[in-house]
Amino acid sequence: MTTHTDDRTPTDHGTGTVGYAPAHTPRLAWAEQAPEVFKAMVRLDAAARKGLDPKLLELVKVRASQINRCALCVDMHSKDALAAGESVERIVQLSAWEESEHFYTERELAALALTEAVTVLTDGFVPDAVYERAAAHFEEAELAQLIAAITVINAWNRFGVTCRLVPGHYQPGHK
Amino acid sequence: MTARTRLLDKSVAQAMSTLSAAAKRGLGDPALAELVVIRASQLNHCAFCLDMHLTIARQHGVPEKQLDLLAAWEEAEGVFDERERSALALTEAVTVLTGGTSQAFGSGGGSVPDEVYATAAKHFDETRLAHLVGLIVAINNWNRVMVSRRIPPGGYTA
Repeated sequence: MTTHTDDRTPTDHGTGTVGYAPAHTPRLAWAEQAPEVFKAMVRLDAAARKGLDPKLLELVKVRASQINRCALCVDMHSKDALAAGESVERIVQLSAWEESEHFYTERELAALALTEAVTVLTDGFVPDAVYERAAAHFEEAELAQLIAAITVINAWNRFGVTCRLVPGHYQPGHK
Repeated sequence: MTARTRLLDKSVAQAMSTLSAAAKRGLGDPALAELVVIRASQLNHCAFCLDMHLTIARQHGVPEKQLDLLAAWEEAEGVFDERERSALALTEAVTVLTGGTSQAFGSGGGSVPDEVYATAAKHFDETRLAHLVGLIVAINNWNRVMVSRRIPPGGYTA
């Protein structure tokens, strides 16, 4: 195993071969312990993505995962975004999208604002301005799907963070 | 208050219901399930969900004193047992991942503290714990879908 950083593979993470800290241990194999719950999540995920542009969906998923700090989900959806043809710089800028609006379309910006509002509910509600901005860019049925998709990534984030799932091993197309 | 939209794809709603039912079944404690669901709905300010689940909680015979003091459960000595308290602490941690600071998305909060997780793991075996987490996730789903669409309370009839 080389120590050259350019040769890193996902399996380097946590092995210490390149001087990184060790990987943490997952807390709970929730999908094995609650298979019916997992099955429902998979079905929900499939239902919520219907009718949504895959690239937009990945932007939404990466952003929600950043806000919720789900390492596994950031890993997975950044890679899925790249696999869907997304550019590196649009993924990199995502955590500061309000300051880098010219990287995104108005429609994407409206979706990102909605993503943040729906993700951070604990401070109260989804502001009218945010909802109306989204409603100006998405017709009603599509908007309902967008809300569902934001909800579903929040759900995966909660499982990932709570069960402390380990990032770094995901490969697009090998789910 | 009128709803912003009442649209919700049928297969999305069905999967959400299946998820909630599977989690609740696996937890195997309907009264505790309502405490968890109501507390998450308080944190997420979901009026529809509060109205619905307070009704259900009363049907399950959850004591009025617990419902009255749920929002301040940490300070309500003698009202909740240790198992309930561990479930409520986990509910809060899993629900408020962001730290609840809208002024600065991404600061504060973050992760589910080891102590919170370990305390819950003392009171629930892995299977029950996985379903408890599932239930917390499931109500967070409903909270998001109802609050975003601004579904008014009162629509639920037992």
